[in-house]
Amino acid sequence: MDEYLTENFNIADVITEGLIDLDLQAESKEEAILELTNILYKEGLITDVTDFSEDVFLREKEGATGLGQGVAIPHGKSDSVIKTALAIGKTTHPIEWESLDDKPVNIIILFAVRNTEANTLHIKLLQKVAILLADDSFIHALCHVKTKKELLRLLSKEPG
Amino acid sequence: MKLVAVVACTSGIAHTYIAKEKLIKAAEKKGHSIKVETQGTIGTEGKLTKKDIEEADLVIMATDIQTTGNERFDNKKKIKIATSIAVKASEQLIEKIENEILS
Repeated sequence: MDEYLTENFNIADVITEGLIDLDLQAESKEEAILELTNILYKEGLITDVTDFSEDVFLREKEGATGLGQGVAIPHGKSDSVIKTALAIGKTTHPIEWESLDDKPVNIIILFAVRNTEANTLHIKLLQKVAILLADDSFIHALCHVKTKKELLRLLSKEPG
Repeated sequence: MKLVAVVACTSGIAHTYIAKEKLIKAAEKKGHSIKVETQGTIGTEGKLTKKDIEEADLVIMATDIQTTGNERFDNKKKIKIATSIAVKASEQLIEKIENEILS
């Protein structure tokens, strides 16, 4: 097994209930990214909404962040990030997004990464989430979560 | 067969690691061994050894950016793809390798 899976991780280091919104109002990709960016700002994880979202939009131009099956993982590595974290949103309506299966998305996981991330642990927590996302049964469960607690439980699952 | 892969996406945060998992799942499902090196935002992990490379039947380069150490594969059979292919269609990729490249 990979070295980074055997360490003791606590997913709560990068995602908390305050960083989840299961009722996003966004109707476009831009609105969804901004809504999640605002959550990061309110939780004190980024210094500036415009700076961070611009870095995310820049990354969006470099290639599709829709993974297929209704999930997108926009991400920004930015000077405006105070602490590496995730913000997760679920939209009421499917949103148009550049995806590997050309279908819209309704689960958006925004990765906010410090530009000079000295704490590799945080990056490894994000890696763990990425590994979970490679699992179809995880994606299926993710699309059906009803509560924030359920989502956090799902994310604390060890990849298997 | 024995496969090795190097994976690196644009920002080295998420796709690299999803692609790695997908490649491992697909290769193992088909009964092949695979070792994957990632070159991400925190550097290289799972670095391929000389032995890994020597023993490999094929090198999969799932890279969206310029990676380092490519000269290690100078005399090897290689296939170059985008990380998105590994994320979206790793099983088809392994099948293609079985059918076309190594036959």
